Amino acid sequence: MAMELDYDRSLYGVEHQAGPFEITDEIIDRANSSTGETGAAFRSDEGAKEAGYRGRIAPPTLCCILVRQVSLPDVKVKFGKTQMHAGQRVEPKAPVYAGDLLTASSHLKDVYAKTGRSGTMVFVVWETTFTNQDGQVVAEVQESFAKRE
Amino acid sequence: MPYYDEIELGDEIGPVEKVATDDEVSNFCDVWGAPTPNRFTDPAIAEKAGMKGTIVPGIMTMAMMAQLLTNWGGPGSIKDLDLVFRQPVPHNRVLTLAATITDLREEDGENLVECDILMTGTEGERYVGGKAIVALPNR
Repeated sequence: MAMELDYDRSLYGVEHQAGPFEITDEIIDRANSSTGETGAAFRSDEGAKEAGYRGRIAPPTLCCILVRQVSLPDVKVKFGKTQMHAGQRVEPKAPVYAGDLLTASSHLKDVYAKTGRSGTMVFVVWETTFTNQDGQVVAEVQESFAKRE
Repeated sequence: MPYYDEIELGDEIGPVEKVATDDEVSNFCDVWGAPTPNRFTDPAIAEKAGMKGTIVPGIMTMAMMAQLLTNWGGPGSIKDLDLVFRQPVPHNRVLTLAATITDLREEDGENLVECDILMTGTEGERYVGGKAIVALPNR
């Protein structure tokens, strides 16, 4: 039988906006240097143009870094004591260029329980859409947080 | 960059070895906007949170996994990267990243390569795992 979960269901359907985030060369440089990124298209206009882009692009996980800056409410799950970052998903939809202005819109996607060998965990999943200054969706990001008994 | 028609099921991407140093994690936390000190940068805070030591943020490991794919398939090749953070990833240790191709298909005019992707430790720890879809051109 499915476990009955107690949490704030009124959060479903509510969008939480954040931004604009300016994608500066400095942000891309710092993201590159902290992760050892050496891809030419992520490092310079010249490298990006050689790969067929109109200018320097951001690494595909930059939106996953930005998503932390979206202020999300407490889902108030009445389960467990410790919470951990259980997973992350990114679906890049279009290039993010240096100089772009991105906005983010997040909503609660799902709350569910799963029981495995290490016991029951409750997962809270948020989904965020990043859109550029032209209204084009550039990435979909899902973050999953787990609460353990 | 490989071509779609050269790829076969079971082909491997990598392995490559990487190390996330203390300085890189600290810099990453600055970019990410995580207030420091935290369990990623301070051993005492990490131990208080039940860790054996400071850990690498999951999102940073994701960036490393993405590099494995973009270095192979090109900067815009990733269509989907879906990862599970299975256990804490330590600083300053050799991490091995690799992927195995599990499906090849043509969909909406694109050549899609699906793979299982994994980050492991020197003792066989399975730190981060998941699935990825990469698009490749034909020859």
